[in-house]
Amino acid sequence: MLRNGKLAQVPALSPDNVTVDELTREFLIESQEGLDRMERCLTELEERPEDRELLAEIFRSVHTIKGTTGFLGFSRLEALAHAGENLLGLLRDGKLLADVHIISGLLALLDILREILRSIESTGLEGQGEDAAMLQRLHALQHGSSQGPGADSTEAPREGAPPKKKRTRKPKAAGSAAIVPLPDAEMVKPQEEIKAIEVYQAEPQTAQTRAVVNTAESTLRVDVDLLNRMMNLVGELVLTRNQILQMVSTDANLTVLSRRLDMVTADLREAVMKARMQPVSHVFSKFPRMVRDLAQQLNKRVRLVMEGQETELDKSLLEAIKDPLTHSVRNAIDHGIEVPHLRETAGKDPEGILRLRAYQEGSHVVIEVSDDGGGMKVERIRDKALERKLITRERAAQLSDRELMQLIFLPGFSTAEAITNVSGRGVGMDVVRTNVEKIGGKVEIDSRAGKGTTLRLRIPLTLAIVPALIVQSRGQNYALPQGALSELVHLSSEQVQTQVEWMEGAALYRLRGKLLPLVFLGSLLKQQEQPDKSREAYIAVLNAEGRRYGLVVDSLADPEEIVVKPLSSVLKRIRLFSGATVLGNGEMALILDPGAIATQSNIGMALEDDEPEVLDANLMDGSDEYLLTQSASEHAAVPLANVLRIERIPRTQMEWLNGMPVLRFDGTLLPLKDRTGKDAAASPEEEMTVVVCRDGERHVGVAVSQVLDVASGKPLNEAGTNVATRNAVLLKDKVTSIIDLRHIPALPGARPSHDDPVETWEADGVVEVLA
Amino acid sequence: MTRALFQQTVAQDEPIEMCSVRVGQTLYGIPVTSILEILGKPAKQGVPLAPGYIGGLVHYRGEVLTTVSLRSLLAMPAREAMEDILVFEGADGYFGLLVDEVSEVITVLHTDFEGNPSTLDDRRKALFAGTYKLSNALLVMLDPERLDPVRLAEAAFA
Repeated sequence: MLRNGKLAQVPALSPDNVTVDELTREFLIESQEGLDRMERCLTELEERPEDRELLAEIFRSVHTIKGTTGFLGFSRLEALAHAGENLLGLLRDGKLLADVHIISGLLALLDILREILRSIESTGLEGQGEDAAMLQRLHALQHGSSQGPGADSTEAPREGAPPKKKRTRKPKAAGSAAIVPLPDAEMVKPQEEIKAIEVYQAEPQTAQTRAVVNTAESTLRVDVDLLNRMMNLVGELVLTRNQILQMVSTDANLTVLSRRLDMVTADLREAVMKARMQPVSHVFSKFPRMVRDLAQQLNKRVRLVMEGQETELDKSLLEAIKDPLTHSVRNAIDHGIEVPHLRETAGKDPEGILRLRAYQEGSHVVIEVSDDGGGMKVERIRDKALERKLITRERAAQLSDRELMQLIFLPGFSTAEAITNVSGRGVGMDVVRTNVEKIGGKVEIDSRAGKGTTLRLRIPLTLAIVPALIVQSRGQNYALPQGALSELVHLSSEQVQTQVEWMEGAALYRLRGKLLPLVFLGSLLKQQEQPDKSREAYIAVLNAEGRRYGLVVDSLADPEEIVVKPLSSVLKRIRLFSGATVLGNGEMALILDPGAIATQSNIGMALEDDEPEVLDANLMDGSDEYLLTQSASEHAAVPLANVLRIERIPRTQMEWLNGMPVLRFDGTLLPLKDRTGKDAAASPEEEMTVVVCRDGERHVGVAVSQVLDVASGKPLNEAGTNVATRNAVLLKDKVTSIIDLRHIPALPGARPSHDDPVETWEADGVVEVLA
Repeated sequence: MTRALFQQTVAQDEPIEMCSVRVGQTLYGIPVTSILEILGKPAKQGVPLAPGYIGGLVHYRGEVLTTVSLRSLLAMPAREAMEDILVFEGADGYFGLLVDEVSEVITVLHTDFEGNPSTLDDRRKALFAGTYKLSNALLVMLDPERLDPVRLAEAAFA
């Protein structure tokens, strides 16, 4: 659904739904919202049964439905809403105290109301249903009878057509001894109650109209289709702008205008994106009810804590995370939180805590589902995986705890003791991961035995515009979503021949000592029979749905923010492409689907998360990572720890200060070392790559021809001594010089940034020359 | 679509406007009313692994338009030069038809129409709707419905 660029929408809004007229549609939307609000409030009410505001809110929702239904002639709805309203009236006026039976009864009412609304939405009619039991239950609750629908102490309510006058349906037996009085309240007399009911009928209406007027003044309902169209048009505008920006260079006026166009477009894009944003509370709001029902069903005690509900996310993404999040919450209650007596034995509060937390982190929204339950038991996960033959015994013995935990994302995995109707059908975590990765997100899991489990869903802020790296194969452009990309490795033509190893037709590359399966894009797309071994290539190391592999491409272009366009059904069948896009230069590019490529190439699950091992390895042999660059024809390296960022800028931006090359960045001056060995005046159009590094406190730039790779290097000892040379390192089995950042002269007037006595002569020297 | 059109014209005996296009030596005709737009030689992007009849992708009004190559459908060699594109609405959104060149609009009468000759090969029989006898040539009638990529995919056209 999302791939088509279409959004799920409230069916009531769909224009082809001819059975429902405008007025009814309006009513449906309003009622659904009201019921959602009511559901939220009801679960809260369970904790604070005396909260008058909550009661008033619930009352208003039901009252609105009742008011409008009579007008539209929906008699079932009216009768039910009326019965609910009577009960709520008593609660609101403090005549009754909301207990678990009353709340269950009201929730059951809510479900029936929803069902009727759904029926109206699809057929235009209320449909047939037996409401007598429900009406009776509500009636019984009014009288303090908590047996629910089975209670026969009350008179049978009328069925069919609603009574002409509301008055006739006022509870007649209200004065009977069945009312549960508040602890310190007096028994209520019938007359008082009737008065009270009349009062509440007058008051909330005004409150409600007030609320409606307020929101109507500042908000507007917009069809999702219209928003999609706007987003699409903005995407077009962004593309057109990109093309204009690439062409403009000669006319100064046009440059100014295009800058303005650039700014306006960016603002417009932001505004439209903002219009599509909805707070995550839209999804969160259904959880209190779900958690309550699940906990009751499983005889567990769970307190739901929700944080960051105001965090906003694109509407389509919000739709897309609904299911994964529901799965995760179910899992947490079913598998995570223990039953009360087990918790007590473990010395924990018998009431478990389920925490839903949303927050923004850069261009992502993180949603955490954490419980304070038993945590994941790695032994059980291992046993289960063995039992289901998901891994071999030998493999299992090699895996670390962390790696074992990742097994729960394998399809067909479930550790639930018994298959309950809540979860444990073996669909779950793999579905969660697949769904989240489909929208460019990531799932992480963190668990400590006895302490609990945290599941983290990392969701991009928006779907429509995706950062991607443009790669080339056989002269054609392809867009590779950055989300799946973990690193890039450059291979020169001789490295392609020596370092790509072949095992019976399968290409492999040793990435930090581990074999990485390679997929040649050209061969995959059947553009060439055999991978070309005589040309340089790049390996894009991808991580897709837990599968790790290297995609070999001919060359790289710049990263770009792309607007995803859906493909027609015929082309979708190829499966390797998730869409197409128009690049800034006007060319088109197909968007590669890393997950589908992995599937097609039979890439298996990578259970090892090799990053921590790399850290360990580095600690052991004392090697550091270096950024390998090419300056003129020579290779040189910068310690990766010192690298702040890499920029590509036109050579003309380089300026000279007292014979020293400098760059201006946001009003600051960056001393530069030009190692490109080219004359700026000779080729002003050309771009250069500047590696911005940290050198003590100051920042310096090193201009190089190109950045090649990141590699870990071993220090070299000078022969006969035990002292490591400072200016050279062994990188990829080659002695490579290290660019000494401290040799880049300080800016005139700048305080020398080093206290190192060996190097101060350098800075002093410059000061002397200037003085 | 075209069938309905025929019936209408039979009843009214009105002239039909056909957009004529050239592919190789043959002149083809497509009812003007079924054409949404004509794109003059736009840049197109090939799609690896796509069925043979897919001519590539073209940027069209903010969307990506899938095109069908009449040349590949007729098993003719690909053309080096840029091709014109006719845009139609199909079962699965818009699609484009790549032709060598779009030429003038020709008015034909239903009385000049004849079905496909039995000697035509099966592939062409499936694609062509018949022919109009012009004074100096034949105008091969194309039915956009038969050229819809969704339908071609079902018919397993290679």
